[in-house]
Amino acid sequence: MSAIDRICEALARDVAGRTSRRGFLARVGAVLLGTGMLPLLPVARAQHGAPQGAAGGAASNEPDAAALQDPTRCEYWRHCAIDGYLCGCCGGSQSSCPPGTEPSPITWIGTCRNPADGKDYVISYNDCCGKSACGRCACNRNEGDQPIYVPALSNDINWCAGKGGDIVYHCSTAVLVGLAPDGAAK
Amino acid sequence: MARRSRRVAAGALALVGAVAHADGGAGEPALDGARYLYVLRCQGCHGPDGAGMPGGVPDLRGALTPFTRTQAGRAYLARVPGVAQSPLDDAELAVVLNWLVDGIGGGAAPGFVAYDAASVGRLRARPLVGVAAARRAALAGADAD
Repeated sequence: MSAIDRICEALARDVAGRTSRRGFLARVGAVLLGTGMLPLLPVARAQHGAPQGAAGGAASNEPDAAALQDPTRCEYWRHCAIDGYLCGCCGGSQSSCPPGTEPSPITWIGTCRNPADGKDYVISYNDCCGKSACGRCACNRNEGDQPIYVPALSNDINWCAGKGGDIVYHCSTAVLVGLAPDGAAK
Repeated sequence: MARRSRRVAAGALALVGAVAHADGGAGEPALDGARYLYVLRCQGCHGPDGAGMPGGVPDLRGALTPFTRTQAGRAYLARVPGVAQSPLDDAELAVVLNWLVDGIGGGAAPGFVAYDAASVGRLRARPLVGVAAARRAALAGADAD
């Protein structure tokens, strides 16, 4: 037997003398189980109430003035009820569809307050359809959103369904339609 | 290719056309009462000019006058799902319906009694389910169900 073989045999006999297979498996199993349970621990998650996604990383609870006026940011004032990907990050803009997509003829409409003048404006969230989902600048603000049983006010409806065959959702715009009457915002 | 380009251009223009304003501006007039209600709660499906969507949402342009000739037609307009289930209240719906009948819809027939909150409330309490059949009946002057 070679020297290496003798050394390995000695080590193996030493380990075997101090441990059991059952004990080893139990310890490995505990590590695996514990690792698997880590996501269930009550750690602090993303801040509630703050807009998700968009450029600029994690949003603070108090969006800065620049973000409120930046159409590529989730905090942009027109995005108060948006639910989807921002077309401004997808080759389009807050009022135009990216090349290769077409605006859906049906849309979700609501009002948002412009902090620059304190007034409420009517915003039309026309979805752009015909290409697979943009995947950039996800933004779910959903102010005024209602469950599916109020379909006209539900952001969960695929508003691209109105385009016949082109029902694939790509991104959402936030088109400014007009100024709401004073005190009439809904 | 040319046809698709025209469709894309029309779609883009339709979006841009809806943007009548810069990003909020001092001095621009607010949408007035009836139009504001239409824009907020009807335009999403019926479109800014009432054109709707072929095969899905009826075109209102010049299409409402026939319904104003009979009681059945008048009832139909206040019972269709989009009206009956609207988040607008009865008074707001009355304003919008009258505005639509007088404007986009083509005008009311002589003798048409304008909607008010009470009549809208009474009619929308019985929303239609079989809308297509009800529409045919209404245009023939017969009450639905």
